[in-house]
Amino acid sequence: MERAMEQLNRLSRSLRRARTVDLPEDNETAVYTLMPMVMADQHRSVSELLSNSKFDVNYAFGRVKRSLLHIAANCGSVECLVLLLKKGANPNYQDISGCTPLHLAARNGQKKCMSKLLEYSADVNICNNEGLTAIHWLAVNGRTELLHDLVQHVSNVDVEDTMGQTALHVACQNGHKTTVLCLLDSGADINRPNVSGATPLYFACSHGQRDTAQILLSRGAKYLPDKNGVTPLDLCVQGGYGETCEILIQHHPRLFQTVIQMTQNEDLRENMLRQVLEHLSQQSESQYLKILTSLAEVATTNGHKLLSLSSSYEAQMKSLLRIVRMFCHVFRLGPSSPTNGNDMGYNGNKTPRSQAFKGCWLPQIKGLAVQFLMEPLELLWHSLDEWLALIATELTKNRSDSSSSIASLLLIQKGASQQDPASPCPSDVIGAESSGELAATPRESLSHELVEKPDAGADGEDVISVTANRLSAVIQAFYMCCSCQMPLGMTSPRFIEFVCKHDDVLKCFVTRNPKIIFDHFHFLLECPELMSRFMHIIKAQPFKERCEWFYEHLLAGQPDSDMVHRPVSESDILLVHRDSIFRSSCEVVFKSNCQKLKQGIAVRFHGEEGMGQGVVREWFDILSNEIINPDYALFTQSADGTTFQPNSNSSVNPDHLNYFRFAGEILGLALYHRQLVNIYFTRSFYKHILGIPVNYQDVASIDPEYAKNLQWILDNDISDLGLELTFSVETDVFGAMEEVPLKPGGSSILVTQENKAEYVQLVTELRMTRAIQPQINGFLQGFHMFIPPSLIQLFDEYELELLLSGMPEIDVQDWIKNTEYTSGYERDDPVIQWFWEVVQELTQEERVLLLQFVTGSSRVPHGGFAYIMGGSGLQNFTIAAVAYTLNLLPTSSTCINMLKLPEYPSKEILKDRLLVALRCGSYGYTMA
Amino acid sequence: MSETYDFLFKFLVIGSAGTGKSCLLHQFIENKFKQDSNHTIGVEFGSRVVNVGGKTVKLQIWDTAGQERFRSVTRSYYRGAAGALLVYDITSRETYNTLTNWLTDARTLASPNIVIILCGNKKDLDADREVTFLEASRFAQENELMFLETSALTGENVEEAFLKCARIILNKIDSGELDPERMGSGIQYGDASLRQLRQPRGTQSQTKQQCSC
Repeated sequence: MERAMEQLNRLSRSLRRARTVDLPEDNETAVYTLMPMVMADQHRSVSELLSNSKFDVNYAFGRVKRSLLHIAANCGSVECLVLLLKKGANPNYQDISGCTPLHLAARNGQKKCMSKLLEYSADVNICNNEGLTAIHWLAVNGRTELLHDLVQHVSNVDVEDTMGQTALHVACQNGHKTTVLCLLDSGADINRPNVSGATPLYFACSHGQRDTAQILLSRGAKYLPDKNGVTPLDLCVQGGYGETCEILIQHHPRLFQTVIQMTQNEDLRENMLRQVLEHLSQQSESQYLKILTSLAEVATTNGHKLLSLSSSYEAQMKSLLRIVRMFCHVFRLGPSSPTNGNDMGYNGNKTPRSQAFKGCWLPQIKGLAVQFLMEPLELLWHSLDEWLALIATELTKNRSDSSSSIASLLLIQKGASQQDPASPCPSDVIGAESSGELAATPRESLSHELVEKPDAGADGEDVISVTANRLSAVIQAFYMCCSCQMPLGMTSPRFIEFVCKHDDVLKCFVTRNPKIIFDHFHFLLECPELMSRFMHIIKAQPFKERCEWFYEHLLAGQPDSDMVHRPVSESDILLVHRDSIFRSSCEVVFKSNCQKLKQGIAVRFHGEEGMGQGVVREWFDILSNEIINPDYALFTQSADGTTFQPNSNSSVNPDHLNYFRFAGEILGLALYHRQLVNIYFTRSFYKHILGIPVNYQDVASIDPEYAKNLQWILDNDISDLGLELTFSVETDVFGAMEEVPLKPGGSSILVTQENKAEYVQLVTELRMTRAIQPQINGFLQGFHMFIPPSLIQLFDEYELELLLSGMPEIDVQDWIKNTEYTSGYERDDPVIQWFWEVVQELTQEERVLLLQFVTGSSRVPHGGFAYIMGGSGLQNFTIAAVAYTLNLLPTSSTCINMLKLPEYPSKEILKDRLLVALRCGSYGYTMA
Repeated sequence: MSETYDFLFKFLVIGSAGTGKSCLLHQFIENKFKQDSNHTIGVEFGSRVVNVGGKTVKLQIWDTAGQERFRSVTRSYYRGAAGALLVYDITSRETYNTLTNWLTDARTLASPNIVIILCGNKKDLDADREVTFLEASRFAQENELMFLETSALTGENVEEAFLKCARIILNKIDSGELDPERMGSGIQYGDASLRQLRQPRGTQSQTKQQCSC
């Protein structure tokens, strides 16, 4: 290149001096003199230079070894090209990759050069090293006009490249309609397979070239799979090319069923097939109905297969749910009507759940057509119903009659299905399993002798264990189908009726295998009335599982739940001021759309560049600190100094209820996006968020003295004390004492030994709830915008704290250092040694549970365990000895941070009992 | 990718408990006798692609439990069946006597066009026979059923039973008596007809090679 520039400079200098230059002697230098002129098509200069020189016009130069003729053809320098040809340049000279000047002219669409080359009898049939000919090049780029000229000279329009691809293949792949037509008119083989068996139609489909596919099919292209059996339809579906699928189906109506059957493929890209079905369903109302009916049929078959005990549960379950998901998706779309048919076309950005659209069709098809659509599925629901009824019968039979033959049958079935069909000796396999009797029984007598044998208690369970998963998956499918006929957010009465009808069996399922709830009973989260029936079972499940379920469901409603943090557009960025973080955040959050905030948050501080997750975290951190800033008077510190709750006097700030809503929104938003906040609330406020009633012990966190008094009232007989308490209290409202009745006419009702519990409860509610009810309501209004109440109730107050504020770090060494021992324990006692060893072995989560169990708080105060607060000031963590009796669990007194640890005989027992206490401790609260 | 066939037929296997329905299905699909057969729980499922009269047909077979307690569950599978094997045990008159009940179920719950073949199973146990061939074939004739005696143990007539049933259905489709497009017919089209051209292409390239040798 340098040399070329130098030559060029020399040349221009000489031109300026109006003198001709002589071409250098050696070809290599000469060619670089000529090349720029050829590129600029300065044929006169070239002609002049060449006239008296011995330059070899076929001299190949450069890395790719091209001649000047290549350069001319490539650049469209037609005059130079002719000149060079006249000078004897070889039109078929091939460069290092085998390309002739004609190839280059064809590739770049140099029409004139191409025709000149042909005039000078350039060979159109030459292949380059990849086997490509000039027509391949024209076809790739869709240069139909040139192809017309060229194709008459071509001996074989079906000439193949090294991959066996013809010009028609590449034209189809790129969707050049006129090129395809031209090639077909020139006799190209419409069904020609390449080396892997792919035909032109296959290529058109693999790239979703609808028009090209249309041309091919109308010209009689055959529908052929490649050598691996992949069909054009497979490709269309893989790519989500609805329009191309439609064309295929128009020409081969039976492919419709194939598309429907594809819903069963495990290795399917579901969203692509859904796109295709979406498109197809929008073609006409009859098409829409046909798709739904067919999907319903496939779903029913799959559901029945799932109910066959020998089928694979995993595969069939996934298949059924996938098909039903697609069914519901299409169902919700509704058929297109002539008026909106156009804008519902396939373009990828329509909104399928458009309410207006939905509104206009639903009433029309609701009556007869829905019935018709659902008919195949009704068979499945009928089977489901019969199955559940059958199990219910067996259960009652089991309860009354100890020998149930079905149960033992199921037992046998289970054993049999565990064994490999090819394995000749079943008893070995079964023998390894739990059922001892079964293994001992010779194969021939399996059928009847066994019936009486197994003990009944376990049998009833076994009926369920083999069918529960399968039936539950079908129930899930049933729920999905019921729901898609209902407006969003409403539960179908039919489904509620169904659950009520089979209440016993369903409860039996989940008691036996609670995982079913998380796997299949998502409906519970959407229907509080059904949820309450299962709540006790759900709450007994590990925190982690509930957490996963919570988030899975929380994000399930999002349109792109698979993309958690999407890039946000400039207008959606929350721009906040650092110096007025509370007010400016409040403003931008109130202005923002709740749905958008759910999709992702982006925060930028005014005058700062930073964006991204780090900034979002920082924002939550600073903002949560500001929310509890005493200057706003929104929250007050509780007695222990680390937790907060709404300030009953927050109304000094006139806009306080809006601010509570804001605080609720921030907390909800943080939870939604799994961000932690830097606030710890009182136990009672967490209960308020959860909707759990508070009890008198919760008072301790805001007024320990008062809590002690309440405790005393409960603990002692008050009949003869003459307390003269009535059902009313005096409260301090900005200095003035006001008497507030606890219930109607409360000031004239005396508190007695009989009604003292009620008094304690009411007085607690007054102090803890009624006094801050408007604030709580404001907060919840904001919080529920992001977190539905039905979901948050999966947790208790301790877990809610963990969710909102995260897992605190616990330094076990510091803990050991600041622990006291009492009632007989010494630091060196083996039980104490075991205890700390166990603590070391616990997970971080379990240690937090332990800390919560004993202190009521999940956090260690600033400065460590030395600063743990009790009901009245500093109070070290204390372990007290309790005499051991069998199965005795550890207990605690949270107000004095005391763990009452029985003197366990071994470390194993200690660990086991401690863990039991921790897992149950959070739920049942008994006063120790 | 997906299986290739011209038609899919939904089949049922019905009859009293212990007549060998599951063994017939197993013999048909696996080509061997199921040694350690237990009572079927609910409904089991099997499928096989067969060639009948030049057509490939996928048989989707639902093998029902014979025991009375499952009757309500199994009944929900009847609808949309194109064909059924009604099975009794030639060594048990009791299973023969209940045939009318099964037949009534099939006729009332399944499609009216359902093609039923009566199978007297356990043909290998001729010594213990309680139902004669003649008697059963008379019953079949009266009720417009096809009839075969089968043995799931030896495999005798098992294939025939399924194929015969499929053949009759195909005939009915050809004669227009059955419309596969109708809902609940228990018949579906496959897309095999579209793929048949794949084979000739393969053979073509083979012959080409032979020529060039």
